[in-house]
Parts: sequence; structure tokens; C-alpha cells
Amino acid sequence: MTASQLLLTTMGGLTNAAYLFIVSAGLSLVFGALRVINMAHGSLYMIAAFIAAVAANALGAGLGFWGGLVLAIAVTGAIGALIEIVVLRRVYREEHLVQLLGTYALTLIIAGLVRLIFGPNLRNTPAPALFSGNFHLAGDSYSVYSMFMIVAAIAIAAGVYAMLYRTPLGRNIRAAVSDSELLSASGVNVARLFTTVFVIGAALAALGGVIVAPSQAVTATMDADVLVLAFAISVIGGLGSIVGSAVGSVIVGLVISFGLQNGSTNQFALAFVFIIMVAVLVIRPWGLFGTAEQ
Amino acid sequence: MIAVLRLTRDARFRWAVAALFIAFAAAIPPLAGLNELANPDASAKFEIFLGTEALVLALWAVSYNLMLGYSGMVSFAHAAYYGIGAYTVALLFQKLHLPVLEGLLVAPLVTAVFGLVTGMIALRAVRLYFSLLTLAISQVLFSLAFNDAGGVTGGDNGVHGLAVPDALNDYTTMYYFVGAVVALSLAVMFILTRSPFGAALAAIRENRERARSIGINVRAYELAVFTIASTFAGVAGGLFAVFQQEAYPEMLYWTQNAQPVVIALLGGIGSFLGPAIGAFVYTELSNLLSTKFSNQFDVLLGAIVLAVVLVAPGGLASLPRLFTTLRARLRDQAADEVVESSGESIERADLARVVRIEAIHADPIAERGEPLLVVEGLSRSFGGLRAVQDVNLVVHAGDRHAVIGPNGAGKSTLFNLITGRLRPDAGRVTFAGRDITGRPPHVIARAGIGRAFQITMIFPKLTVRQNLQYAMLAHRGLTVRPFGLADRMFRDEAMELLEAVGLGRYPELAAGQLSHGDQRAIELAISLALGSRLVLLDEPTAGMSAFETQKAMDLVRRVAQEKRLTLLFCEHDMEVVFGTARTVTVMHMGRVLTQGTPDDVRGNPDVQKVYLGELEEEAVV
Repeated sequence: MTASQLLLTTMGGLTNAAYLFIVSAGLSLVFGALRVINMAHGSLYMIAAFIAAVAANALGAGLGFWGGLVLAIAVTGAIGALIEIVVLRRVYREEHLVQLLGTYALTLIIAGLVRLIFGPNLRNTPAPALFSGNFHLAGDSYSVYSMFMIVAAIAIAAGVYAMLYRTPLGRNIRAAVSDSELLSASGVNVARLFTTVFVIGAALAALGGVIVAPSQAVTATMDADVLVLAFAISVIGGLGSIVGSAVGSVIVGLVISFGLQNGSTNQFALAFVFIIMVAVLVIRPWGLFGTAEQ
Repeated sequence: MIAVLRLTRDARFRWAVAALFIAFAAAIPPLAGLNELANPDASAKFEIFLGTEALVLALWAVSYNLMLGYSGMVSFAHAAYYGIGAYTVALLFQKLHLPVLEGLLVAPLVTAVFGLVTGMIALRAVRLYFSLLTLAISQVLFSLAFNDAGGVTGGDNGVHGLAVPDALNDYTTMYYFVGAVVALSLAVMFILTRSPFGAALAAIRENRERARSIGINVRAYELAVFTIASTFAGVAGGLFAVFQQEAYPEMLYWTQNAQPVVIALLGGIGSFLGPAIGAFVYTELSNLLSTKFSNQFDVLLGAIVLAVVLVAPGGLASLPRLFTTLRARLRDQAADEVVESSGESIERADLARVVRIEAIHADPIAERGEPLLVVEGLSRSFGGLRAVQDVNLVVHAGDRHAVIGPNGAGKSTLFNLITGRLRPDAGRVTFAGRDITGRPPHVIARAGIGRAFQITMIFPKLTVRQNLQYAMLAHRGLTVRPFGLADRMFRDEAMELLEAVGLGRYPELAAGQLSHGDQRAIELAISLALGSRLVLLDEPTAGMSAFETQKAMDLVRRVAQEKRLTLLFCEHDMEVVFGTARTVTVMHMGRVLTQGTPDDVRGNPDVQKVYLGELEEEAVV
């Protein structure tokens, strides 16, 4: 592998890491506070991607992208609130088995509805005019949009971090992570807090879905594809840890990129991700940055 | 006849439904024929074909329910084993020209090996992480099949065009052949679920920690059930290949697990045959809806799962009960037939009776007065906190030994270190001459150390009787038996013990329904049921009234004496301590402060300063 191939592949890996981080950060945030694995997280991401694709094709690459972003967050956030209030509230006290099955049911429902509404065909989304085109570096050509994805992910990471550590909401979320009952006893409306956290998680899924749309085909199976990767990332990084999501995303993004790069291994790129996941779990069952649960 | 009469109404109902279902399944080909005669639009062939599909799904779903319903495990890899079973038959036929029926014999062996190996990986983790790992494994297996790894799987096309043997080249014969294989497989699984092995699975599902402490090797049992389930998924997949004559990669895709999950939920995960009945309902439903509304079908499946999860967690099997509940609610009555336990059971304990129970008796493994448990230099820290520091302790056979100390003195940590729930940083624990340092809890339990926990650790959804029965089974190592009726074993002994500790009125009530005091009594009874040489009691009377406490400790003392059990207990109630113990060890800040007879300890000024003094001040206030 030459130096320029190395750079290209690494950039590809970081582009993967960018959208994967945005999605898995939402999954992890929700798990940290609510202790629920939201199987429907990928479904929210898919809804957002379809909205972005439809908006960009209808309104043009400029307005369509930004309009689609706002619309996608609004719609996905509303669906998120609905899911939390109608479904999750009833299963918090149940075994994790019930929670898995309940949110799994949502993935089936949403996937069916998306196919019904948007049809089975895949869609392409034009990148916003501001970030279209390529630039050249050391003789190689890179897409501007990839750079935008990486920058957006870093900005979102900073935003999530600031939200968690610099705002009263973040303080409550962190308190809920360590003991939600105690938090409830100290006068915080935990039910509303949980809805808020879930909506933030849904918004992150939406951001991931909109941002990824111009970089790959929008299909009706992208919910499962991203969910599986987001799980792998959360398990590698440790469920509930935002830092873990970031590190896990970079690992998974790079592994996929380098795996696909080589003709003899591209069939197994996904398998490598899961082999790493298994290896991490065998050594540290609670992930690199997670905390052991009793 | 007597056995039948003894069945409860619920059980009679279940057997009747099962008999009806089996009769219905057996009559499908003639019924389809009659339907064709009466109704020119109907095709008997097609209906028999659907019936065959339902049979295969029934086997697949029941095997899934071995994990979901019986062991409380959610696996996303079960479709992968189903697919591998189909691929085994298909590839053996295509590459080696092995007839499909011979391939069908090989399929479960192959999926058993896959299940065992991948299960060993997945069961490195528990619960949620286990589920996520099975998802990962499933995706790896899918991508290998889909991407034609090794050039044998046929890539995204899969393998088609298997030849059916002449003998089965007829829909009706095929139906009965598949039916026979499914019936045989279900029979094996049915025996398994009612055996002591099944009892261990139920115990694990209800309370892993408690299961360990009665001597069950939780991971080994989970691996066993995972492997067994994947074996039968292989049979189901193999049957699929035989009658559909193909195998394709989508069979392995993780969302395919929706099928057995939906079917199991639909039929009721709490019943054995429920998922099988669910398979017929599901097949009919999908036949009615999927051809016209293939997109809406997923939505419908999701809606069913959601409805079951939120409204009727018991599935179809619980509908009669749900109906009764609803009717009662409409009539403005109490929704459930709540049998309140009074919480005063222990007051009715019959000491003379407890003493006669032979199940409690343990083989003497040390002579009276010899050291039975020796703890040397035991230490354990949590972060910066040294919970237990360099503790030395000798418990002599036949002694009643109390460990006391203020909150945070390290008593519970010490108990957790002895019973293997925690691993020590340093030091050694020897029991009856055997080094048990850092051994897993089930090994230590089987070596002869029983335990009652400070927080109540029972099996909430099992009956009170089963709580004791399964403890007796597990502790004697009988739960490895995959046959026999667990509920008939140690039944009398368990009943005897229940009567003796005053719980005789509620043998068939779910243990979790009892009041706190009665649950404490079960906790105590479990630790006695084990017949352990050494019984560790962590605040056995926490939450009991003064009278209950006295009665419970009388019981403990009497049993220990008569049955030559050795007791090691910790307790805050000084009356209990000085009334029961013959040796007292005082702990303070993770260290042993002093040890001696109750009188020595009472007179020790240091003890009074750190411990008794505090209490007396409290008493004055």
C-alpha cells in the first residue's frame, strides 16, 4: 500500500466514522440514561435519510439539504417522543428481554411503513452546493462532502459534550445515568427528562441519517445495516460512553475502509468488525470505556 | 387416573388444548381434501404445503422458545442456525450428491457444532451484551453465506433444485414425514423442559445469582441450552431444505429471527406447545395477508409483537386468564385472585419437624471442633476503598460463629469472598481442607457452603415448593439429568421443609407473591434445603419483627444443633448474636478487631468503643 493509498483509505475510514459516531452517540446516550437498548434507533436514522433524499430532490441541492435537515429532525424527534411516551414508559421496569422485543417490534413497523411510503427503490441525494465537488491534496482527489461529514461529526461531538457537562440538562442526564431513582427523589421530573433524552437520541439518529444521505444510496435496509454497526461500536467502546462511541466509531470506520480496500478481504470487511467486537468483549465484556454492570 | 385428577384446572386446560392441536395437525391432509371437494377454489395440495411449512416453523419456534421462554435469553443468531441447517442439506446434495434425507441427519450435527462454538463466544457476556454478540455472530455467518465465502455457498443465489426422494414425492406423505420428525423433536424438547435440567434453566432465568449459590454452573447450562436450541434449529432448517428444495442466504439474516420470536410470543412463551400452535396461526395469517400486502405484513408482525409485549405478555396461551381478569375487572372485582400471605409464617414453624427432615442432613466432612473453614490473609479493595484487609478467621465444625461490626465493616464483602461472588485480591480460603480461593460460586456451593443473602434472593415466579425442590436438586448435582420429572423429585422433602418452617399453606403460590417476611423465610429455607455442611447467613432476620426474629433464630439454632451444621452469620441485632453464637468475630474498617466467646467480646473495651458503645448511645437516645 502506497502512502497516497494509505491516506485515501484513512480518509474513507474517518468519513465512515463520522456518520457512525453521530448515530451511535445517540444510541449510547439513550442507553446510558434510560438503560434501554433502542433497536429502533436505526429506523429513526432511515426515516431521516429518506426525508433528506426527498427534500433534496424536490427543493434542489441547496435549500433541500438544509430544509430536509430541519424537517428530518422535527419529524424524527416527534416520532421519538411518541415512542418514548407510548412504548418505552411501559417497559422500563420490565426485563431487558421485553425492552428488546418491544423496540424490535418498532423496527419491523417502521421498516414496513417506510417501504410503504417511499417505495422499495433506492434514492440518491445531491450534496448541498456549498460542499459539492472535490479538492486535491498530494496528488489525490477528495470529496469536499467527506470533509464536511468529518467536521460535522466533530462539531456534534463537541456539542454533545458541552450539553452533558455545561448545561443543567446535562447534569440531570449524568445524574440519571448513575441513579435515576435518587434523581427523582430530589425533585427532578424524570419522566420528562427521559423523554427529552430520547428525543435528543432520535435527533442524533436524524442528523446521522441526513448527513449520510448524500454519501451513499438511501435504501429500505439501511436501518438494519447501521444498527448492526452502531451496536458493534457501542459494544467495542462501551455502552453509555460518548468517548467510547467516538473511539469505537473510528475503529469500525477504519476497519471497514481498510477491509474493503483490499480485493481479497472485501467480502469479510464486516466480519472483521465483528471479530474485533468479539475480541473486545472477551477481554473487557463491558467495552473499552464502559463500566462493568452488576 | 389419580394423577389426572390431581391436575389443576389450568393444567387440564393445557392438556386438552394440546390434544386438540395434535388431532388437528394430524387431520390436516384429509381436512384439506374434504375442503377441496366441497369448495372448487380450494387446493388441497396448497393447504397441505402450508401445513408442512407451519410444522417446520413450529419446530423452529419451539426450539427458539427453549432459550426465550425457558431460559430468558434473547438470541439474534437462531435464524443463522436454521439457515445453516438448510445449507447443510443443500450443499451435501449439490457437492457430494448425498440424498437429502441423509443430509437431514447431518444437519443437526453441523448446527450443534456451530451453536457450541459460537455459543462459547456469545456467552462470554450476559443478558444484553449476549444478545448483541449473537447479533454480531449472526451477521458474520450471513455475510459468509451471502458473499460466497470459500466459493461453496452459491453467493446471493443460494442453492436450488434439490431432488426429493421418490417416497416423499407426494404432498401428503411429505406432510406426515415432516410431522413425524417435528413430533419426535418436540417430544425430546418437552421431556427436557420438565426434567431437572429444565428446572436449572428456570432457576437461571428467575435469578442467576441465586442459581449460582445453589450450585448451578450458570454458563454451562446456558451453553447447553444454546447448543440444544441450535441443534433443533438445524433439524428445522434441514426439513425446510427437504420440502422447499432450496437454501438461500436471507434465511440467515438477523431480521429473520422475527419469525420465531413472533410465533413464540403469539403462542405464549410460557407454554411448551404455545409456539407450535402459534406457528399454525402465523402461517395462516401470513398466507392471508402477505400475498396482497407484503409491505403491510411487516407492520402487522411488528404490531403483533408490540401488542403482545405491552398488553398480553403471555401470548395466546394467556388469553383465557386475560379474559377472566377482564371479566373480573368489568364486574368491578379484584383483577387477580390475590392470595395474601400474612408474613407471619415463621411464627408457625414446627421445630420438631424440621429436625426430622433428612434432606437437610449433610455428610460430615469434618469432625466436631476441627477447623472447617479457614480464611488466611484475605483482602479485597474497591478502587481506593479497602473493604476487607488481611482477615484471618477459623470456623470450627459444629460451631455457631457470628461476625459483627458496624455498617461498612466488611462483613458482606467477606461473605462474598468466601462464597466466590467476589474474587479476593490476596489471601486464601480453605474449606474442609480444600483450597476454594477464587473458585466460582457454584463450585463453592457444591463443596458444601450454603448461603442466605442479606437481600432476598429467591426465584420469584417459581412456586414456593419449587424454590426448595430445585435447590435440593441443584445442590445434589441432579440438574444435569435431561429426563425425569423435576416436579416429582424431592417433592415430599420440600413439602416437609415448607410445613416445618411454617410455609405449608402456600406451596403452589409464586414465591414473589409472598410478603417480605415470608420471602425471608423462603430464603432461609433454601439455605437449609441445600443440606450444606456450612451455612452462611447474611443478616438472616433483616426486616423481620421481633417475634419472627426470635422464632427464626430458634429454628436456625435448633437445626444447626441437631443436624450438626456449622453456622457463620452476620447480624446487627445483638440479642440475636449473643443468643445464638458461641464464637463472635468483630470486624471494623475491613479488619478483624477481636474474636472470642460472646462474653469475651462483650467485655472487650475496644469493641465497646467502636461498636457496642455506639449502640448503647443510640439506645439511650
